[in-house]
Amino acid sequence: MVSRRQFIVMGAAASSAALFRRPTALRAADATITIGVSGPQTGPNAQHGAQWVAAFDLAIEQIAAQGGPHLRYVFEDSQSEPRQSVSIAQKFVNDPDIAIEVGDFSSTASMAASPIYQRGKLVQFGMTNSHPDFTKGGDYMWSSSISQAEEQPNLADFAVNGLGLKKLAVLHLNTDWGNTSKTLFVQAAQALGAEIVAVEGFLPAERDFRSTLVRIRDTNPTGLILEAYYADAAVIARQVHDLGLKQPIAAVSSVYSPKFIELGGDAVNGIYTQSNFFPDDPRPEVQAFVRAFQTRYGRQPDGFNATAYDTFILIGELVRQFGGTREAIRDGLTKIKNVPSVVYGKISFDPDTRRVAGARYERLLVKDSQFTLWDGSRPAI
Amino acid sequence: MMINQLAFGPWLDYTVNGLIIGNIYALLAVGLALIFGVANLINFAHGSVYTVGAYLGWASITYLHTPLPVTLVIVITGSALLGVAIERVGLRALHGSSRIAPLLATIGISLVLDQLVQLFCSPDPRALASQLPDLRIQIGRGTIGTLDLLIAGVGLVSATGLYGFLRYTKLGWAVRATAQDQDAARQMGVDTDRVNVTVFAIASALGGVSGLLVGMYYNSIDPNMSFDATLKGVVAMMIGGLGNVPGALGGGLLLGLTESYGIALFGSSYRNLFAFALLILILVAAPNGLFGRRRDLPPEPMTGTFIARSRPLRLPRALVAGVVLAAALLPLLPAPYLLQTLTTALLSALLALSLTLVAGTVGQISLGHAALLAIGGYASGLLALDCGLPFVWSVPLAGVITALLGTLLVFPALRMQGHYVSIATLGIGEIVTLVILNWTGLTQGAMGLTGIPAPAIGGIELTSVRSVYWLVLVLVVAIALLQTRLLSGHLGRTWRAIREDEVAARSYGVAANRYKALAFGFGAFGAGVGGAITAHLYSYIDYRTFDTTLSILALTMVILGGLGNVAGAVLGSVLLVSLPELFRAAAEYRMLAYGLVLLVLIRYRPQGLLGTV
Amino acid sequence: MVPPLLQVRGVTRRFAGLVAVNAIDLDVAEGELVSVIGPNGAGKSTLFNLISGLDRPNVGTVHFAGQDVTGLRPERLAALGLARTFQHGRVFGNLSVIDNVLVGAHVRLRCVRPAVPLLGPLIELGLAAWRPAAVRAEEQSLRADAEAILALFGDRLLPRRDQPAYSLSYANRRRLEIARALALHPRLLLMDEPTAGMNESETAEMQVLIGRLKASGQTLLLIEHKLEMVMRLSDRVLAMDDGQRIAEGLPGRVRNDPAVIEAYLGHHALGSAEPVA
Repeated sequence: MVSRRQFIVMGAAASSAALFRRPTALRAADATITIGVSGPQTGPNAQHGAQWVAAFDLAIEQIAAQGGPHLRYVFEDSQSEPRQSVSIAQKFVNDPDIAIEVGDFSSTASMAASPIYQRGKLVQFGMTNSHPDFTKGGDYMWSSSISQAEEQPNLADFAVNGLGLKKLAVLHLNTDWGNTSKTLFVQAAQALGAEIVAVEGFLPAERDFRSTLVRIRDTNPTGLILEAYYADAAVIARQVHDLGLKQPIAAVSSVYSPKFIELGGDAVNGIYTQSNFFPDDPRPEVQAFVRAFQTRYGRQPDGFNATAYDTFILIGELVRQFGGTREAIRDGLTKIKNVPSVVYGKISFDPDTRRVAGARYERLLVKDSQFTLWDGSRPAI
Repeated sequence: MMINQLAFGPWLDYTVNGLIIGNIYALLAVGLALIFGVANLINFAHGSVYTVGAYLGWASITYLHTPLPVTLVIVITGSALLGVAIERVGLRALHGSSRIAPLLATIGISLVLDQLVQLFCSPDPRALASQLPDLRIQIGRGTIGTLDLLIAGVGLVSATGLYGFLRYTKLGWAVRATAQDQDAARQMGVDTDRVNVTVFAIASALGGVSGLLVGMYYNSIDPNMSFDATLKGVVAMMIGGLGNVPGALGGGLLLGLTESYGIALFGSSYRNLFAFALLILILVAAPNGLFGRRRDLPPEPMTGTFIARSRPLRLPRALVAGVVLAAALLPLLPAPYLLQTLTTALLSALLALSLTLVAGTVGQISLGHAALLAIGGYASGLLALDCGLPFVWSVPLAGVITALLGTLLVFPALRMQGHYVSIATLGIGEIVTLVILNWTGLTQGAMGLTGIPAPAIGGIELTSVRSVYWLVLVLVVAIALLQTRLLSGHLGRTWRAIREDEVAARSYGVAANRYKALAFGFGAFGAGVGGAITAHLYSYIDYRTFDTTLSILALTMVILGGLGNVAGAVLGSVLLVSLPELFRAAAEYRMLAYGLVLLVLIRYRPQGLLGTV
Repeated sequence: MVPPLLQVRGVTRRFAGLVAVNAIDLDVAEGELVSVIGPNGAGKSTLFNLISGLDRPNVGTVHFAGQDVTGLRPERLAALGLARTFQHGRVFGNLSVIDNVLVGAHVRLRCVRPAVPLLGPLIELGLAAWRPAAVRAEEQSLRADAEAILALFGDRLLPRRDQPAYSLSYANRRRLEIARALALHPRLLLMDEPTAGMNESETAEMQVLIGRLKASGQTLLLIEHKLEMVMRLSDRVLAMDDGQRIAEGLPGRVRNDPAVIEAYLGHHALGSAEPVA
């Protein structure tokens, strides 16, 4: 099911590409282009693999419906473990059908496989790999992951200037992602004149945060910052509630998911967050995506769905404009401009960092168990 | 009053918090202790039963809209039936085979159950709303709710109930008799099969209820909550005393308090460090647990209870030589994916060779062996990155560092016996991981080591799959040959004598600690080299690259190949790395297929494919 | 005067509320065969554990070969030349018969176990892998000695030397246990009920063997229930009951001691069905 609007959006994107490339694109559309996906389908991160699949299927269908190139993907389950991602990498590199690789989910798994992709001259598109060194693995490592260097100053501005929180405690997931986020946030918040009174890292399987929160409480912050994924953040919010902490909470965009509300219940009301993607965002590409996703799956998409969807739309566009060979795709990544994107609005890569700049942010507030646009009012402290 | 609250407020809160989480650990530990007490088995499937219980409750509330009492009845019945099935289908047939086979079976069952939950209920976390009215009581500056009280109540009631049951009922008497001596109890007319089934049913019902209550407490359940639950439950049980039911309750609360105070003092990144440090401390200072009675002398073991009677398959030399030759010629085929998979398998084989020596030959079942890979990987990575040492130097040096550090770390475990060694090494392994995570200055903490240079010999980078494969193959063959040679000499018989009967060996002048340390040291060298090469191949490692799942995988490889069997360790590694690759077509059913194959292998070949040595 | 090889003075061992061994004195001189008798639960095996270092006394001292060895670890005692067998037989089930005996000879390994502090284990590992001529020669001579020891048992053990010990009959396991202890070339051999569970002809065979050992000058300390054998072989006998010494001296005297008779008659659960005649 493709809405008319979606069709128009894609058409508009196509028209932004130079006209003389059209013939190449038509040729590419005749053959099926295979994308290798390395990611978790079993194991502790399996839900993210499932989120990807939903978005991939939707994107492929839409691209085909608009007369774009025929894409297909081969999903190899790595459980997000390096031992398996390296074998998958070798398999993809040696499969001449694979034109580009997407994944893996964790940096641990992705970066272990990078040397193989680099040597095999196959683009490794780590759409969730925010580790600052991921794209330094070589000129075949590309990422559309939200750069924390961009998101965190935004969040800091939201918390300090927007919400007026000046004494902050930061609770972060102790992984490469959480750690990078925390460091960048602290820098940005301090530059804005805020005081950081506590920084606490927690382990991935953690469920009990009460004592950590007491420790934070006793530093008397005026606001709490969460650098966590939605499932952890929901559990934290409930315990904040149980402990009777009244400080306003601002959380990183990764909590943006319908699951956050489901798991957090009443305790997540009043939490501020931001998102690159918000279903009520009037931008046409967002509206088209949300509606199509909801029609097909009967639920609202979240940030992970949006990222995966964007990636396949981007690949479709790469193939259409530059052709479906490995080299064409890699060269295309350096040249492609302004591909419509749910997360970014428009995607263009910086050919040096091989990352995307300019993610858009909507500032949100959870109100009555709904994500709503923040109206600019400050919390009572 | 105000001053009082200021002075004691936070500590009161930390104590309350510690007791709340301790409650949950206690509930898990009671079930584990009950099973251990009777079956002399650490039930690694307990966490999975807990998960299944949580999902049963979720399904019953979501689809049948049951009120809490009905939900509880459904969860108790379902989990108890699951427990019966585990005992009947998974474990009973293994009675009489080696002690290690049931342990491995519970790991396999756990894998299968977790995968089934994931397949039926999706991997995404689900909300499990509490069905109790949420009345909150103010204690200190925080509050506790009705669920906290219910969890504490269930823990207390089940522990005292079980204590009374064991103490005062006829069936309880039979359970205790079975726990003392399974064979003697049977001769005295106790139906030990019935006892075992009863115990599994009770413990599993308790496990299922724990899952339901804890799920409601966090309002969140997911298919991966089982491993952590097992881990913390085992630690709590160990603190209370292996198989000591009331002790488990105390162990859980103490563990919760320790974690809470640890967080208070050092922050939440150190929580598990405190948990495992407490574990090691208890194992060293009071091995029977804080609440266990001191035992004066270990009972005399019957010989050969540790491993099955060995009837290893004798592989003809020509066959082994032929396989090695074929392996060496394999890269001539254009099959890079196969080579890459086999390289991973051979790197695992370095770990498995080390573990088969320590666990199989010397009988010290280590559950934290992957930590050696981590030490080797980080040592070589840091030597290359910080000191600029070339690959040919950093790798062997990393092996030596791993041998020294590994032996030093395992030192507290050398004088322990049986299950204590396994749990201690599990704890030591976790401690290594947590130190790597928290020692940011040296290890870059959570960011991991990036840009580790590729393997290079004499200035030539080994970048092709082929050359790396050959390098690892040569290493594996060399270490396997060396290990075989050591096993054929006086060290081999001395090590195996320690495994068979440490007391008797010591009575004949064998300094058991020295020889255990030697085995650990030699094994750690090989594993360290394996970890080092892995680090250079991946170019990036972090604290999750070599985790506990890998330790357990390595143990599976070793048992599958045959404990102590050198060729078996290599065969086990190749099989267990290749099988999941072969099952790739099954996509999300892949790990389920793997778990089932594993269970079938344990059932029909508990002594391993090539036999224990 | 030469001090006795083994000198036990006032040794006491208490377990929760129970005195298993109470103020026992015991001497064994070089070349002597001393037996300890007493009903089940008299504390004989506990006494053996205290002497061989598996357990520590609460009170009292043990001297061996002129040295205070109280509470010394068993491996140190073995190195000093003390070997023991176990009541229930503790052979290494999965080791071959010959390997069982060779483990008994562990303390006699010299070449491959150089007494170097700290680096000793590493050198041992290196030598075990490298196996220079001296190490090989040592292994060869120990192996030859082990076969000679197996030959003491006629064709009971020698033809089965490469079989795993678990495949042996019960009596053969007890024999293997003794062979393993002999391989240590002990100055003192402690035997805990060597004929337990053996039939009459096997017992007789064992008696001959112990007699030959004694004749060859081996010092022996024996726990035994079969009193006829004890009386025939022993130089002196110590009788225990409830952890106490109830009689000591020449076999004939101990046998007729009223306290001993009372102890045996008072216990219905005798370890031996043999009449005290």
